[in-house]
Amino acid sequence: MKIEDCRLKISSIRQAFSETLFDLAVKNPNIYVVDIGLRPSLYLDKFAARFKSRFIECGVAESNAAGVAAGLSASGKTVFLTSFACFSPALNWAVIKQSICYNQQNVKIVGSHAGLMSGDLGATHQMLEDIALMRCLPSLEVFAPIDALEMKKMLPVLASSPRPAYLRLFRPPTIEVYPLKLSFTIGKSHLIRSGSDITVLGYGPILTQLFSDDFKKFSLEIINCSSIKPLDSETILKSVKKTGRCLVIEDHQKNGGLGDAVSNLIVISGIKCKFIHLAVDDSFGQSAKSYFDLYHHYGLSPLAIIESLKKLLSKT
Amino acid sequence: MFLPKSSAHPLSSLSRSLRLDILEMINHAEFGHIGGSLSSIDILIALYNSDLFNFNKDHFILSAGHLCPALYVVLAQKNIIPRQELLTYGLFASRLQGHSNLDTPGLEYASGALGQGLSFASGLALGDKSHHTICLTTDGEHNEGQIWEAIAFASKYHQGNLINIIDVNGYQLGGSTADIMPMGELASKYLHFGWTVTTVNGHNFYELEKALKTAKSSSIYPACIIAKTTFAKGISFMENKFEYHDIKKLPEEIYLNAKKELEAKK
Repeated sequence: MKIEDCRLKISSIRQAFSETLFDLAVKNPNIYVVDIGLRPSLYLDKFAARFKSRFIECGVAESNAAGVAAGLSASGKTVFLTSFACFSPALNWAVIKQSICYNQQNVKIVGSHAGLMSGDLGATHQMLEDIALMRCLPSLEVFAPIDALEMKKMLPVLASSPRPAYLRLFRPPTIEVYPLKLSFTIGKSHLIRSGSDITVLGYGPILTQLFSDDFKKFSLEIINCSSIKPLDSETILKSVKKTGRCLVIEDHQKNGGLGDAVSNLIVISGIKCKFIHLAVDDSFGQSAKSYFDLYHHYGLSPLAIIESLKKLLSKT
Repeated sequence: MFLPKSSAHPLSSLSRSLRLDILEMINHAEFGHIGGSLSSIDILIALYNSDLFNFNKDHFILSAGHLCPALYVVLAQKNIIPRQELLTYGLFASRLQGHSNLDTPGLEYASGALGQGLSFASGLALGDKSHHTICLTTDGEHNEGQIWEAIAFASKYHQGNLINIIDVNGYQLGGSTADIMPMGELASKYLHFGWTVTTVNGHNFYELEKALKTAKSSSIYPACIIAKTTFAKGISFMENKFEYHDIKKLPEEIYLNAKKELEAKK
């Protein structure tokens, strides 16, 4: 796909989530939602009204909700546990570990409003640690769509998978970039653009910053790692072997994020590679009207990306 | 109603022999939560040996996973696991883990971190309304906030097919429950949350069976059975001594004395 094909249409990932889930639930009577008091924020009013007995409202009690979701799954249901990422999987991590993962239950943990992208809500709501918390749990798979289109492709695949999963969603509407004809496969990445000089890896809408014309002067190989776990190590290593330079960008803490997974992968492979990880560096977020101001402040803006690309290309 | 409390219930002899099994198992493993296992064993015997429930269809969720020695000996008594396997408890590659695990036949829930089982049981009861889900929790476990979230939830969803039995033995790892974190009386709290509550002597099979029967007949209210028990019941010098919450290797003399006491009662 060429960057120029970008349609620049803005749409909401969480809205795409709720609409797709509704459509899936029409066809599949086994789909349940266990909600944690955030029904309107996840656009679940329509689901709750249509599927009264399949919409279980737990109130703002994340631990119990995760346990109820696991128990429902044990009775044969496919359960979506919906909340903000800063509450679930943050407050109920030990329940996700024991009642969901260790008990092999098919629960999809949906954490919305992740990252600095939640903007004016401030540090308490800007979940920057969810990928770290979820990546380390045995058997749990981790996903984050780049846009609403990928969300629509991803959700039916997750719904039909028998394994537990964490799905990271984002608050503001973002541009649509996912190719209409591309299907989503667990464990496979999406090659946004081929190039020869630098491999750029990331997940979620932060990666769409690279669709701007500012990046045309670089020969970048941009890979959308929406399947964060399992990670498409084959594609990543093949690219890094070719370019010898790698930039990972994510709206998350450096610690425990995709950058950690990728650098670990590269070191073990023995491939020689210059590496830069752009992420929040051991600090908390803060409020801002536009999350672009936060991306600028925390070194995740197009400007910071270009600076890093130049550094990777320099001889020193 | 006439309850022949003084005459021996047919399950009493089973109670004595399974207590001995628990001691042998824990002594062999040089590890195990003996106090709670001995306080809850009669509850489990009543549950698995009454005709009230069929655990091929009804569900049992052990929330306090450390009480698994008591569950393992009952599962062996019901021929769900081979009796000789009891001596593998807590050992490497055993199906009988130190805290309950799904590899054990007859187990529907793996636990160890306290306070989670009642939520799981509520979810299961919600998804399988045509059968009963019975959960076993402990008094110490009620320190956990998640339990109270689950209590409210079960009431909201009118879970008449959910039963929570609480083993109230009065002790936890570091002391008496009253000293560590006084929770006050549990019965009235459950009542206020909209549950039905029965309080019984957790070592009296007549009372346990009657309470289970009443709980089973509840239509829209989740049922709580408060089973008052004696910590480490059956071994006099361990009874009500929190130091016997969990043990490592028992000195030979202590083991023999404990065995002698349990055998004498046999």
